[in-house]
This record gives sequence, C-alpha cells and structure tokens, in this order.
Amino acid sequence: MNKEFKVLARPYMVWLSVLVFVPILAMILISISNLNSSVSVGELMISFSHFKLLLESSTLIAFRNSLVFATLTTLLSFVLGYFIAYEIKLSKFKNKFILLTIVILPMWSNLILRTESLANIMSENNILKSILGFNLFGNISGTGVAVLFGLVFTYMPFMILSVYTALEKIDFALEEAALDLGLSPIKKFWKVVFPLSLKGVVTGSIMVFLPTLAGFAIPKILSRGRIVFIGTIIENKFVYTNYNHGALLAVVILFFILGSILLLTKFDKEGETLL
Amino acid sequence: MENKKPLIELKNISKSYDDEVVVNDVNLTIYENEFLTLLGPSGCGKTTILRMIAGFIKPEAGEVIINGKIFNDLPAYARPIHTVFQKYALFPHLNVIDNVAFGLNNRSWEYLESFFGKDKIEKEAKELGDISKKTIIRKAIKNLIYKDSEQALKLVKLEGFKKRKVDQLSGGQQQRVALARALVNKPQILLLDEPLAALDLKLRQNMQYELKEMQRNLGITFLFVTHDQEEAMTMSDRIVVMKEGVIQQLGTPKSIYNEPINRYVANFIGETNILKGTYIKKDTVNFLGVDFKCMGYTFNDNEEVDVVIRPEDFDVVDTDKAKLVGEVVFSLFKGVHNEYEVLVKNEKLLVHTYESYEVGQPIGLTIDPYEIHMMKVEKGE
Repeated sequence: MNKEFKVLARPYMVWLSVLVFVPILAMILISISNLNSSVSVGELMISFSHFKLLLESSTLIAFRNSLVFATLTTLLSFVLGYFIAYEIKLSKFKNKFILLTIVILPMWSNLILRTESLANIMSENNILKSILGFNLFGNISGTGVAVLFGLVFTYMPFMILSVYTALEKIDFALEEAALDLGLSPIKKFWKVVFPLSLKGVVTGSIMVFLPTLAGFAIPKILSRGRIVFIGTIIENKFVYTNYNHGALLAVVILFFILGSILLLTKFDKEGETLL
Repeated sequence: MENKKPLIELKNISKSYDDEVVVNDVNLTIYENEFLTLLGPSGCGKTTILRMIAGFIKPEAGEVIINGKIFNDLPAYARPIHTVFQKYALFPHLNVIDNVAFGLNNRSWEYLESFFGKDKIEKEAKELGDISKKTIIRKAIKNLIYKDSEQALKLVKLEGFKKRKVDQLSGGQQQRVALARALVNKPQILLLDEPLAALDLKLRQNMQYELKEMQRNLGITFLFVTHDQEEAMTMSDRIVVMKEGVIQQLGTPKSIYNEPINRYVANFIGETNILKGTYIKKDTVNFLGVDFKCMGYTFNDNEEVDVVIRPEDFDVVDTDKAKLVGEVVFSLFKGVHNEYEVLVKNEKLLVHTYESYEVGQPIGLTIDPYEIHMMKVEKGE
C-alpha cells in the first residue's frame, strides 16, 4: 500500500484499537473473571464459577427466543424483501433511486422512537384508532407477533437493498439467453435470476439476522418485557453491575457473529454485495 | 437458390423507437441451409431485425414467418431458434458443460422424448437397467443430454474444458462455449449477433473459417449480423447491406463487391474509386475526359453516371500505351501488393498493383471494359 495512505489510515487504526479491540479484549478478560460490583480490586481473579449461568433455564430460553425470532425475522424479510426488491428491479419507473429512498425512509427517524410509536399503535387505544375508526393492528402489543412485526419492519430494508443490488448486477443478456434456450419466464427466474441473486440474499440475511439476534430494544418495547431476548439479559446484567455475567453472554454472542461473518466471506469472496 | 425452401420470411416489417424508424418496411426471405449476413454500420437496424426473429422484440407492422407460420406473437422461448449473443451471455453460476446442457436440462419430458427419439432413449436405458422404471429413463435422458453436450464441446474444440468455470476462459473460448450451447439444441436457425467483434484479429479470422465450415457441415441456417465487410465477404452465401433501416442491396458477396447498386454500398464494401462520368452511347463511357469501352450496361445516351473502379482493376502500363496518365503522390507497401494514390486530372485514384513506383513518378493506367462498373446517379447528390 502507498505510504501516504498508510499515514491516512492511522487515525482509523487508533480508533479501531481504542474503541473495538481493547473493549473486546477487556470483555473477554472480564468474562473469565469474578468482576462484579461487590468485588473490590484486591479480590479480582480468574473465575469460571459463573459459567453455570450458561446452563440456567432463563439464559437458555433467552437464547432460544433470540434464535427463533432472528430466524423468523430473516425468513420473513427474505420472502417479503426479495419480492419487493424484484418488483423495484422490474419497475419501469425511471428514478429507482426514489423507490429505494422510500424503502430506507423509516431509518431516518430514531429507532427507539419508531419502536415506541409502533408499540403505541399496536395497543388498545391509540391515535390511529381515533383517526381510522378501527384498530389497524388489533390489540397485539405485548405478543410475539408484535415483536416479529417490529423486527421485520426495522430490518427488512437491509434485505431489500442487498437483494436489489445483486439483482441489478445480473446482465439482462443472461435472461434473454435463458428465454432463447427455451426456458419459460418462471423457469428463467428459478434457474438464472434466483441463483445469481443468492449472494445478495446471504448478505441481506446476515444483515438482518445479526442485529435481531443481539438486539434488545425492539423486543423489550414491543413485548412489554414479556419476551426476553439474550440482549435483554446482557443489558440487565450490566445495568445491575454483574459485569462478568454480562461479558460472558456477550462473548457467546460474539462467536455467533464471527461465525456468520465467516459464512459471509465464504459466499462472497469479493465483498461486492456488501456495497 | 430458386429451388431452395424458404425458412424465414420477413414481410413489410417495421419498428421504431421514440419516433425514430430503425427498421423500415423490410422484406427478406432466408432459405434453408444458407449463410446470410446482415451488414451495415451500427444503428442501421440489423440487430433489431435479428431480435425480431429471435422473439425479443415485436415488429410494429408486418409479419415474421418461419416455416410458413406467422411467428409475430410467439415468445422467444417457443421458437426453434437460438442466438449466439454479442457478449456471449454465459451463465456465471454454471461450469462449461452445464452451460452447454442448460437448454436441454430445462426442457420438458415430452420435448426431450421427441428430441432424442424413443428408440435412442430406450437403448440408453437398457444399458442402465430396468427400462420400465421412470428413474432409469430419466437417467438415460440425462446421459444423452450430457453426451450431446460433450459432442457439442468437441465440435467447438473445447473437450478438455468441461469442468471449468466460465470466468476462467478466454474470450475466444467463451465464444465457443456460447456456440456449443446454441448448437447442442439442434436449432433450425442460428442467429449470431456480432459474435466475433470482441476477438482479436487472428482469432477472428480462424473463427470465420470455422463458423463457415460448421454451417456447411451441420446444415443449419446461419443468420449473421456484422458491421465488418471483410467478415461478411469471407463467410456469407448472401449478404444484405443495410442503411438506416432499409435494405440497400441483397446478393452474393461477389455481386455486391463487383456490382454495387449505389455509392453507399460501393463505399461500404471495400476500398473503391467512384468517379463522375457520362454514358455517351452503347458500350462507351466518358470519365476523366477520356472515352472508355464498357460492356453490359444500358443507360440513356449522354446520361450522367457514377463509375466504380476497384483499385485492383487498374492495369498499370507504360505511359505511351496508357489511357490515363497520372503522377504517384503517395505509396504504401502492403505486403502482397503496393497501394498508390495517383493524381489524374485533379482526381485522386486508389490503385493496387504489384509493380513498384516511386512518389513523383509518372504512371500509366488502363482499364478493361468488363472492370468498369456504372451506377445510376442518386438524386440529391
């Protein structure tokens, strides 16, 4: 690499070390220590006794919830998001950038605010009901459906964008070649378009799966605290200063993330679908 | 050509994009087993015609008739036609052999049964086991597809490349795979859309001969689109020269080269000299102030005509025996022959000859009567 570029990269390297590598290292160290608010500095030592936390049923249920909801969210985002991305690609609309902007428009407002509003219109009495005269969502606030809706609503744009990018890259001549070789339009989709857009699907899935798996705000707000995700537990552990417990669970999540990224690099060697 | 069966007939077809007419009332008949080339500069409508035959575009007016049936509304996938695309359009997610087998792999059971013939399938199935079982028949058909695909790869000289990914192939090899992918389906008509444009000169020349050879051996009608007149000359049985959506001339390479119908065709097909002349009387034409004997043309006496003389049709002679005497103003050694620009009465002539002259030397030229070609003067010039 060019020498000048190396110099330019230095601030970022400092940033990366101070705010990413050091914290991760600290988190790993804390996860194998006995650090919590009742331990003074002199008593600090390596400890594995809190590892039993991983087998507690509350932890396992939270992991299960996170995994189930992350999987469902990813599947729903894939089915709906692929359809929307494909429609955008097919649309004759001149300025597709505007369509894509509409897709990401909700992201311009604050996540917590957006989720709180969603929880509000999902509850029994809300402003939307007084305008429409009926309850659009029924009274689903606090249920799993509400959480799932919120997660899909929040993370599907990532799926749409990455699938759309992959679809746009498919040379139209390939589709013509498929028709020319005798494939019906439906067969053409399954044999040419879909396989060539898989990279986008994989990237999109990971971009939906990871934040859903590790997140805590959306389930906490939309389930009214009834459905516990692993993120919720980690947050609580840190709030109640059980640092080693929180760190341990965070490290486990970290392994999930690293595994996913490994999967991604296997599918997408050039990193082209990551924009 | 008269006794040949017409395979594709285009009747008064037209197509325009945003008020710009790209194909204007074209009539064309393509016969069985011929190599027909659509030749013209980009934007002359040749690719549009090809795409209308392939079924990617619908003509606004007129009829596309294939095997006597009107094909206007038939979608591309239902036509017995395959295309070799300009940029090959190979499927990047499949390897070479799967690309070739792609068309057949996605055909229906009934289609494949009539494609291979029941006997052939049963014969293949017998080697695999119980022919009453559906799975055995299916396996037999798969085997036949891949046997044919390998055969097609062999035809384009790529036997060893079966398992390669398409992005590991050179341009020429990708071209061959594209060709095999179309040919394995045994189409009646193969459409080729400037397939050699992206190849380097040597490779292009080799492919020209191979394509011609293949067309002759396989007995498939080739409809070839190109803007390269040399390519068209080398391969075609007949050439269609187009300009702005209209057919200018249709004929064998020889007739188009020797008897271009107008200035446009004459200029497009190779280097040439076009001179203003007067048709004095039968078998006599005057140009560059000299009367020449000519033959085979009839115009009105004293009518203005355009005279076409190919650079290689001049005979270089001693100045005292010459009909035209000029001065060499530019010379270029071209390997086989020398190319000269000769100034005769303020008119620059392009002359090819084996004799060598220096710039500034006088040179004498004559022309045989049968080498003088004349065209009606076009209006508006």
